[in-house]
Amino acid sequence: MDPYYLFVTAVSLASIYGLLAIGISIIWSSLGMINLAQGFTFTVSGYGAWLVAQNVSTNGFVVVLGGVITGALAGALTGLLAFIPLYDKPNFPLRSLIATLAISLMGGQFLLWLFTPRVKALPKIFGVGSIHIGPATVSHDKIGSIVCSAILLLLTLAWMKGSRRGLEIRAMMQNPEGAALVGVGLRSTAMAVMMVTGAMAGLAAVLLSQTYFISPFAGTTPLVKGMVVALAGGLGSVAGAVIAAVLIGFVEAFTAVQLGGQYVLITQFLFIIAVLLVRPRGIAGMIEHSRE
Amino acid sequence: MATSTDSQEQPAPSVASTVGNRSWLPALSGHGGASWHRWRYPLTRRTPLLIETRYNSTTLAAERRILNPAPILWVIGLAVLAIAPPPIGNNSFILSATSFAMYAAINVIWMLQIGTAGIFSLASLATVGAGAYGSSYLSVYFGFPWWAMWLSGPLFGLLFGIVIAIPAIRLEGFYYALLTVGIAELCRVYVIQDQTLGSANGLLGTDSFVPSGMSDRGGLILGYYLAFVLLLGALVLYRVVNGQRLGRLLRAAPERQEAFAEALGINYRATRIQVFMISSAALGGVGAFYATLLHGATPTLFTMDQLLLLLAMIVVGGIGTAEGAVVGTLIVVLFDKVFIGLGPIRLILIASIMLGTVLFLRGGLFGIPAQYAAWRGKRLSERRGVHSGKGGEVMPEEATEIADKQAIYLRRFDARVRAELKTLISEDLIREHRATFGKRRSDALERVLNYFRRAATADKYAVLAVKPFAEYRIVALSGQRGVPPRAVDDQIFTTVEDALHAVFLKRVQDLMES
Repeated sequence: MDPYYLFVTAVSLASIYGLLAIGISIIWSSLGMINLAQGFTFTVSGYGAWLVAQNVSTNGFVVVLGGVITGALAGALTGLLAFIPLYDKPNFPLRSLIATLAISLMGGQFLLWLFTPRVKALPKIFGVGSIHIGPATVSHDKIGSIVCSAILLLLTLAWMKGSRRGLEIRAMMQNPEGAALVGVGLRSTAMAVMMVTGAMAGLAAVLLSQTYFISPFAGTTPLVKGMVVALAGGLGSVAGAVIAAVLIGFVEAFTAVQLGGQYVLITQFLFIIAVLLVRPRGIAGMIEHSRE
Repeated sequence: MATSTDSQEQPAPSVASTVGNRSWLPALSGHGGASWHRWRYPLTRRTPLLIETRYNSTTLAAERRILNPAPILWVIGLAVLAIAPPPIGNNSFILSATSFAMYAAINVIWMLQIGTAGIFSLASLATVGAGAYGSSYLSVYFGFPWWAMWLSGPLFGLLFGIVIAIPAIRLEGFYYALLTVGIAELCRVYVIQDQTLGSANGLLGTDSFVPSGMSDRGGLILGYYLAFVLLLGALVLYRVVNGQRLGRLLRAAPERQEAFAEALGINYRATRIQVFMISSAALGGVGAFYATLLHGATPTLFTMDQLLLLLAMIVVGGIGTAEGAVVGTLIVVLFDKVFIGLGPIRLILIASIMLGTVLFLRGGLFGIPAQYAAWRGKRLSERRGVHSGKGGEVMPEEATEIADKQAIYLRRFDARVRAELKTLISEDLIREHRATFGKRRSDALERVLNYFRRAATADKYAVLAVKPFAEYRIVALSGQRGVPPRAVDDQIFTTVEDALHAVFLKRVQDLMES
């Protein structure tokens, strides 16, 4: 088998899972909320991009933009329903977790009702074909997803490092009460976080839809994978999520090539359980108590 | 032992029902021997009903009140479930009732994991699926009859429980919840891809418990009653595990008090895992019943939406109680089956109920009384704060909670006296007080002084002679025997008259501020 193919597949999968995982991770560390509606955001963005491709233009950039904007809106909706009413109530973590689950149940059924179970396909925004980089042959959609997610990830990280809003988000990650005391608006910052992570999920949806179809429940598998990547990386750590995404992408690509596609989830889970048994907070997880 | 009689209500008696607390508990009549009679479970000292005998403070009649109506409601509810569905329903109604009883059993056992053991596992339905698939496999490939499937189901559940309990030893809270969501998805993908487990159609064709000669309707009714017995079994298991030794050990080790419990000698980790294993085995048993009822197992058992539906059931009822699990299941199954014509919209409806519950209620439907009591207490204390500014008179809603009505009238009288005295205070009066020590005083000043003198001892100002005829200070009496008075300020007075006048000024100030 081709080691370069393995490498490229691993990295392209890692970049897509990484987008979702980093979203979940940032939401947890800044808002203290486990967002299981990220799968719903993912699915809605796929449909948003599809609607844009049907009605506006099949230009790759426009389609990606459509997906990203839909994702940001869906993220904002989740924030409005699950964070804003609950964040100062008792038992917030559990109640917001259940609220996001309710949103994902509602959203899935709503999409099923609106779009019927028939699957949809996005146009190939990166074109069909492959290019040769040295000894490796890389298909367009793989290189496209790697580049796109790397760009969005770097933009997000730069924004979090450089901008005023990013500073507020990082302040909220380190000490939410202190941040509120020195004048960081909890609600507006939370909505910003939800929209940015929603946009990440939207991009991941468009990228993954180059390979898979869009259906009302397409979000479950990416959600589960993004979630376990975030778990293995340690909730709350962006670097940990990136490392875990790469490792899990390798495990997936390696298993698919060596053992067969049906064993992918099993090996992934064995890997994650092994990681978590050694380090219960993930590869680089911060201690949960720092969020309280 | 000087307690202030003028302002505060009596310490609330520990009895649940004080006068004015409208408790709609059924009252029984009874006197003498009847007041001590208790029903008891055979061979134990346990009583099903907590009965309190007391004298009605209005009528002075002896009456017995049942403090916990829950057992009565349980018996009525279960009796309705046992009698109603078969005669009144058509076949689809009986099927719905059967699935209600089965889901209620699953939820009650799941409540053991989430509530009692405190392990937030979302793999409950996956455990049921393991039991169902395992026993179906034995039946389809090895020809196990239905009773052997029922026996084997708990074993598969236990095995699955052991596998998913390994991460539970290390992981906490949400980490584990997320992992179990992933494990359910893993099971679904594995089952769909495995040919021997029937792929996407499920593993069908298992033995059924319905005898071959029985009519369709007879089979349905038999299925319903078996599911009902299953629910009863789940409730008994809940009662035994949650209410007896294991549950009590774990109640001594709630969240963030684990180290304390461990210091007491409670091995809470082992106990949690033990409860988890017991409930996993029970869930496997439910799975085997599922397989014999529906002639096999299908991958829908592992889907996220089915799991969310189950979660909606326990969230609506309230996490942590068996009655919450049963009533929540009833509500969600009603919506799911009654509005089946609406298609996906009915699930949107259920999800909105779930969202509404979680947004507005702290502990689901069965948490409403506690939440209402907390809200009412908050409002009451707010009102009390507002009204104590208006002379400390007892407001009607507060009066219902004070058993000693004398205290209410005393406070009303006191408030009026103070209002009257405030009109007497003037600059002249204060000057007169300083000038007339040992002399005859005016009627107005005597009235004010008499009011000050009869105040309660607690926090009453007094003069302390540090050095007689040379150094005096103002103190406040503690009102408790053996507790010395506390110094009020650093002022030192050289004559007793100055000190007494300063005390007078302080009291006037307190009066004007009240």
